[in-house]
Amino acid sequence: MQYCEPLYFLIFLPIVVLIYHFTPQKKRWIILLIASYLFFISLSRFLIIYLFIATIWIYGLGRVIEKLQMERNEKIKQCERAEKKAIKKLYQAYQRRYLILGVVGLIGLLVILKYSDFIGTNINSLLENVNTSIPIYRFMVPIGISFYTLQGVSYLVDIYREKIQADHHLGRLALYMSYFPQLMEGPICRYEQTAMALFEGKDLTSMNIRFGMQRILYGLIKKIVIADRLNPFIRQVFKDYQQYDGGMMALAMVCYTCQLYMEFSGTIDVVLGSSQIFGVSLPENFKQPFFSKSISDFWARWHITLGTWFKDYIYYPMSLSKPLKKLTKWGRKNIGHYYGPLLSGTIALFCVWFCNGIWHGDAWNYIFFGMYHFILIFSANMLAPMISKFYEITHISKDWFWVKVIRILKTAFLVCVGELFFRAHGLKAGLEMFSKMITDFTFTSFKNLTFLNLGVDSRDFLIVMITCIIIFIVSLCREKQIPICLSIETKPLVIRWTIWYGLIFYLIIFGAYGVGYIPVDPIYAGF
Amino acid sequence: MDTLIEILEDIQPEVDYETCEDLVDAHHLDSLMILSLISEIEDEFDVSIPTVEIIPQNFNSAKNLWALIQRLQEED
Repeated sequence: MQYCEPLYFLIFLPIVVLIYHFTPQKKRWIILLIASYLFFISLSRFLIIYLFIATIWIYGLGRVIEKLQMERNEKIKQCERAEKKAIKKLYQAYQRRYLILGVVGLIGLLVILKYSDFIGTNINSLLENVNTSIPIYRFMVPIGISFYTLQGVSYLVDIYREKIQADHHLGRLALYMSYFPQLMEGPICRYEQTAMALFEGKDLTSMNIRFGMQRILYGLIKKIVIADRLNPFIRQVFKDYQQYDGGMMALAMVCYTCQLYMEFSGTIDVVLGSSQIFGVSLPENFKQPFFSKSISDFWARWHITLGTWFKDYIYYPMSLSKPLKKLTKWGRKNIGHYYGPLLSGTIALFCVWFCNGIWHGDAWNYIFFGMYHFILIFSANMLAPMISKFYEITHISKDWFWVKVIRILKTAFLVCVGELFFRAHGLKAGLEMFSKMITDFTFTSFKNLTFLNLGVDSRDFLIVMITCIIIFIVSLCREKQIPICLSIETKPLVIRWTIWYGLIFYLIIFGAYGVGYIPVDPIYAGF
Repeated sequence: MDTLIEILEDIQPEVDYETCEDLVDAHHLDSLMILSLISEIEDEFDVSIPTVEIIPQNFNSAKNLWALIQRLQEED
């Protein structure tokens, strides 16, 4: 079962909503938990054991860390001011031990299940020269492990930082870790964002149901009309790229970026819409990423919850660690107030992008993808003072319309190149495709219409383009902070229903499903 | 407060710090600028800003940032 399949949005979700509605408020969390576990079991069956282990692990360690904090507070109350610092330090060291144990346990399980094969294969290729090898273990990976592991880590770290209190209710914590709408593709939530709301068992309201269903419909259009329709073309070109020229590489690169965005953001719309029906607001994961004017800006708008997770739990803790703080101080004295902090920031940034790359999958092209974005952001940071100087000297304003357009197009191009490596079958294929795009760029495939013979014909491309224009207009309104759903709500009943029925028929008529179509697999669920 | 505004203007001059209330949310301050800011504040006001305090709420306005500095000075 996947979010964009009728089995989910026409059968599973409505049944859960109905049972939820007719259950007493205090017990509704149990319905959500059972539904979440059934959803998990439908995808990963007995691998649910790993989710149980992770939940119990963070539950126990969270309680231990909290107990130490309470003990510390008791001792501080009873001691003199001079002793307080020593007690705080001592207890912080105790807490840190349990935090490290908790984080290593969670990440360790993720590494063993997801990366054993990759690590083993690479070690063996290094050991080839000395004619030896290590055994490689391959494990079945439970669905959503990359997402719920990060949620578990943030839960423990937030208790350690005393931002939240440990949950004493195992069921509530289990629901936070497994909530079915977000289980497969995120968004990656923090405990304080969702746990209480999920447990509350809010009543269904007609407004939440309406807005939730509208959001689901919008997401389905993105996924089924655009992402699925482009699928045969993308599969074919990325599989047999040697047969085509650079022009086709460029087209496949743009089509894949479009597909990835429509698939991921469309699924997130379905996820957020599903959750809204239960009255639980999940954090937004996208904020019109293709209006970004720089790569940093792009990552503040694309997969937002992953970016903020890395920022809060890797970037700042690393940059503000004692050794890097010392480095920043030294840098500010010796290389100036801008490049000084950039030194430690860059070290932390490297770690963030390495983790970002490898988080996406156990292959070198994902690591390359991470390093590619690291280099782009690092270069932009290095050049920032010079670029500012350039704008100053030439009296060009960053806010001029055409300057903005150029910056947006430049960012979109750089993003597309990154996605080419992301999608390619391995790093070697990615490099070959990129090199073809540069050295063998011709319009031959367009002139002789080869591009229309790969499972996506002119009618398909036309439907995709029209739908993209609709999505672009909606995104533009959101960018200008025009609340579309609310403004449709204020229209007369006839207009409202015409719009929504129009979109339902649009999905039914132009959706790519049925015989002859292969829907794209949920891309982020694979991570 | 004046010293803080001077530090902020030095790092990002394109903002009116008397009125702006969404320095982080509106991306006026990026993560690198926040690092510079923390480094400057720690030197100037002799405080240590823990990671847990690096939340948009504390950095969204000069007023909130000033309140954070005062709170950290008191705690110390």
